[in-house]
Amino acid sequence: MTIDDEPELVHEAAELVRPYVITNGRDLVDDSRFSLLTLVTVAQEPPRTQPLDPEKQRVLELCAGGFLSIAEIAGHTGLPVGVVRILVSDLTEEGHLYARAPIPSAQLVDRQILEEVLNGLQARFG
Amino acid sequence: MTQYFQDPALWGLIAGTPVAATAIIRGRKKIKELGREKVELKQHYANLEDHYAEAVEEAKDRAEESTKNTLKAAMRTLQGLASEQQLAISKLQETYGEQKILQDLLDIDHMNSQFARRAQSIAVLCDGWLGRRRNDASLYDVVRSAKGRIRHFTRVEIRSQSNFAIVNRAVEPVALVLAELLDNATSYSAPETIIEINIRPVPKGVCIIVDDAGVGMNEEEKARAGQLLSGGNSASVSSLGNPPQFGFTVIGVLAARYGFTVSVDSTSPYGGVRAVVLLPDELLTSLHESEEGPAVAASTPLPPENPPGPQAAAAPGPRHRAPGPPDFGGPEAGPPAVPETTAGGLPKRRRRGAISIVPTENESTPTPARDSARTASAMGAFQRGTQSGRRSTNASSEGHEVQ
Repeated sequence: MTIDDEPELVHEAAELVRPYVITNGRDLVDDSRFSLLTLVTVAQEPPRTQPLDPEKQRVLELCAGGFLSIAEIAGHTGLPVGVVRILVSDLTEEGHLYARAPIPSAQLVDRQILEEVLNGLQARFG
Repeated sequence: MTQYFQDPALWGLIAGTPVAATAIIRGRKKIKELGREKVELKQHYANLEDHYAEAVEEAKDRAEESTKNTLKAAMRTLQGLASEQQLAISKLQETYGEQKILQDLLDIDHMNSQFARRAQSIAVLCDGWLGRRRNDASLYDVVRSAKGRIRHFTRVEIRSQSNFAIVNRAVEPVALVLAELLDNATSYSAPETIIEINIRPVPKGVCIIVDDAGVGMNEEEKARAGQLLSGGNSASVSSLGNPPQFGFTVIGVLAARYGFTVSVDSTSPYGGVRAVVLLPDELLTSLHESEEGPAVAASTPLPPENPPGPQAAAAPGPRHRAPGPPDFGGPEAGPPAVPETTAGGLPKRRRRGAISIVPTENESTPTPARDSARTASAMGAFQRGTQSGRRSTNASSEGHEVQ
């Protein structure tokens, strides 16, 4: 029985390190804090810490070039969005990353005000 | 005296003596014969007894063999199913990554890994295979993979990273061995205690040290464990007991098969067991940047606003991985930049981006006087472009492995 006749895995192997190990079994972060569009970038003065996990290191490198959204980070790393949220949340708390809430979409103006303006304009110029 | 001659008793005696003598001699002969027969019978009996023991042994071996074969085939199916399921779960995790269901998918993934580990362990006991990974993996990732295969994995803390990687054929065996050690460590220590893993380079290779804060083992248990770990006696399915305790047996078999050593005879600083896995150099390799794939190995933050000129050419850019033409950038062009390392001694990964694929303007700025330099530089840019393009297609297939 030699080692060389060890067959390759029959099926395409999934990643060696599973996502629940990367998050160390933590609960998901509430998505109100980090939405898909929350933008993050590396902090100006990152703290000196122990070597980070490869995945966190990867996130930092991705964000080194400027602001990147959570969705984009998930796309680049191939990790589930929820897992990326946990990583980003950790990194933000540790001071490695700086998060900026997404620019809110324009608020809908009250219909009544619009009607009043319209009425006023019509009364004046109509 | 004459009166005796008339005594019939005398004549009877005279006649009787030879008869008696003959009878005695016959008797002696008979006894001798019987003795011989007895010896023969004894021998025969001994022979029979020997053969019987042999026959029983043979029957036992044959039974063990067929049990192993059956189990091995059954486990192969289970192993296949588990890895298929793992892939399916991975896809689901990606699809539903932003929803609450992800939490459940992560839990299911965890259970599936434990299930796969059991199947693998039984397969090993039956002389089956684990399946070889296609790529080498960093030691840190292998340790984390092992951590993910036990129930109470959050109690395991990995204290050190390392630059070492494990060759593809040894990835699964080492992960399984570590998982069995961690399973023991978590089972024989209090639920709130931590299991600590340290990675330490030694002259003969690398040691993975697992310390628990459990009750430890007495001398007898240590001796038994040592015997199992040496892998000397072949694993037997029938002697595992119920509930089966096959951790050390599995470790022993794998260590013997792949040529590494595992010992549990020392005491951890926390009073529990210290298990040490010593991986020899043959099973180790180092992670090259090229293996990591360009997706993570593009550039240090690029200096896009560098003034044009020699500094730009000497700056560590993405091109140090793509050997350009020798006259590129003029005589000032520095030697290829050495990959930087992080504070922890890990190779620093570099970011890929559009900037690293298209050379910056000043890089390709030729010395105006030299036409040949301009041509060479353009060619260099073209070459770098195609190379980084090729690298990025590789990345999509390899990128997952390095995470």
